[in-house]
Amino acid sequence: MASSSQIELLASAWLARRDGSGWSIHDQLQLDTWLLESTAHRVAYLRLDAAWRQSDRLKALGAGVPAGTVPERAAWGLTPSPELRDAPIDDGAHGRTGARARHAAPHRPASSHLTPKASGKPRRKLLSYGLGGCAALVLAFLAVGWRHYSAVDQASYRTAIGDLQDISLPDGSVITLSSDSRILVTLSRNERHIDLQQGEAFFKVAKDSSRPFVVSAGDRRAIAVGTRYDVRRDAGHLRVIVTQGIVRLESDNGAGGRRQPTALLPAGSIALASDAGVVVSSGPVQQAEELLSWRSGFIAFHDTPLSTAVAEFNRYNQRRIVIGDPSIGAMRVGGHFRWSNVDSFVRLLELGFPVRAERDKDAIVLKRR
Amino acid sequence: MDESLNAWFTREILVHESALMRYLLRSWFRREEIHDLRQEIYIRVYEAAAKARPAMPKSFMFTTARHLMTDRLRRSRVVSIEAVGDLDALNVLIDEISPERRLSARQELRHLSDAFDHLPDRCREVVWLRRVEELSQKQVAARMGISEKTVEKQIAKGMRLIAEHFYGGGNTHAGRRHASANAEHGDGHGQQQPD
Repeated sequence: MASSSQIELLASAWLARRDGSGWSIHDQLQLDTWLLESTAHRVAYLRLDAAWRQSDRLKALGAGVPAGTVPERAAWGLTPSPELRDAPIDDGAHGRTGARARHAAPHRPASSHLTPKASGKPRRKLLSYGLGGCAALVLAFLAVGWRHYSAVDQASYRTAIGDLQDISLPDGSVITLSSDSRILVTLSRNERHIDLQQGEAFFKVAKDSSRPFVVSAGDRRAIAVGTRYDVRRDAGHLRVIVTQGIVRLESDNGAGGRRQPTALLPAGSIALASDAGVVVSSGPVQQAEELLSWRSGFIAFHDTPLSTAVAEFNRYNQRRIVIGDPSIGAMRVGGHFRWSNVDSFVRLLELGFPVRAERDKDAIVLKRR
Repeated sequence: MDESLNAWFTREILVHESALMRYLLRSWFRREEIHDLRQEIYIRVYEAAAKARPAMPKSFMFTTARHLMTDRLRRSRVVSIEAVGDLDALNVLIDEISPERRLSARQELRHLSDAFDHLPDRCREVVWLRRVEELSQKQVAARMGISEKTVEKQIAKGMRLIAEHFYGGGNTHAGRRHASANAEHGDGHGQQQPD
C-alpha cells in the first residue's frame, strides 16, 4: 500500500485538477473509483477538500486590496505570530493600516518580488474588466449557438407485453428494451440521454468519455461513460443493476427539497432507490447477471415469495396470474422459468404446492387447495 | 459516498486535528511515523462511524489513537526508550491535553491567514489569485506567466500546506525541529534537518 504522504499527494492532485478547467464526467468517474478503492483515499481527500473550502474565507482578506496585488505577509491586522495564536484577541485597536505598518518591516524581504506588480495594477484591473466583458459576450454567443448546434436526434421506442426489442444507437451502444416498456432517446453533442418512461431496459454503453450516457427515470439519473447496466422502473422504486464498470446514481431534490445522496455502483451492485433512500447490495457479477436473464427469455427465483414471482410473470404476459387467496402469496418458490410459458409454471405450482388454479381466457386465479 | 458521514467527519473529527497532533507528538517520538499514524486513526474512526456514529467523537478519536499506539508498541519487537515518546502521555486525560478549541470566526480567519502566510511565495500568489480574486487556473497561469500545469501543482501544494497548518495547528514545525534534535542522539534517524 502507498504511504500516507503519497496518498495525500494523490488526493491533492485530484482536488487541484478538479479545481481547474476541463473537468469532465469521465474525470469524476475516475476520481470516484479512486475514492472507492480505500478509506485511506477517502479520508485524505476529505481532509484536503475541507481545508481548501475553508481557504475560500481568505476572501475576507481581499477587501480593499486592489485586484492583481498580493498583499505582503502579515498585512492583515490580525495577530500573525504563531506564539501568540492562542492568546486572547483584543478586538478594539487593530486598524488595518496600523497593523500593516507594524508588521510590514520584518516581513518585507519575503514578498519583495511581488512589489513591482502592484504598480501596474489600475490598468490591469481595467484590462481584466474588459476581458471579462469579452468573455461574457463570447459565452452569451456560445449559449445561443449551442441551442442551434446541439440540435438532436430524438426517437422513442416502446414494446408490447411479451416483446423484447434490441435497439442499436448510432454511437454503437445497444439497448435491450424489456416487455411493456417505453424510452425516449435523445442524442446530443454532449450527452446521450435516455428517458426511461416505463418498464425496464438493459444498456450496453459504447465508451465515449466526452458524452456521458445518462438514463433518467423520474427525478433520478444513472450515469455512465462506458459500461453495462440495467435500469428498471417500478411503481414505488427504481432498480439499477450494474454488470460492468461503474454507474453513478444521483437524484434531483426530493419533495422536501432534500437532495438524496449520490451513490456509486461498481459492477455487481444491485441498487434499489425509493423515497426512503438508496439501498445497495453488492455481490458477484453472476448474481447480478441472473436478474437480467429476462433478456434471453428466462426469469430466475431463489426462495422468492410467490406474490413476487407472480408479479414477475405478469410483466411479460397478457394473460395474468392472480393470487386469489392471500395466504398463498407468502409461499416460497425457486427455479428458472421461461417467462413466456405461464402454463408450465402454474402446472408446477399445482404439483408442488397446496395450490389449485382456475384457468380463464385472460387470467389464471390461484387458490388454496 | 455517504455525504452525511463526510460532513460529520469534517465537523467532528478534522477540527480536532491540532489537538490530535499535539497528542501524537507528545506520545510518539518517531516523528516520521506520525503522518502515517494520523491517517490510520482517521481510517479507523471513519470506518467505525460508517457503522455507527460515536456519541462523543473527540474522545472516540483519542481513544482510537491510544489503542493504535499501544498496538504498535506491542507489535514492534524492540522498543527503545528513545523511539517511544512520553508513555505517560498515553494515559493523560484527553481534555487536559486538548482544551476545546472551538474558534470564533475571527480566530479562525487569523488562523487561516497565518496558514496562508506560511506558504512559499509562488504558491501564496497562486492561492491568492485563485481563491481571493477568483481567477480560474487558466487566468492565474496567464497572469503569472506560468503554465496551467504549474498552477495546478501549486494549488495542490497550497492545499496540503494549508490543511497541515489549519487543521494541524502549525505545530508540526516546532514538533519536527524538536524531533530531529531528539532523533540525532536517539535512535539515529537524523534525516530531518532542523528548519
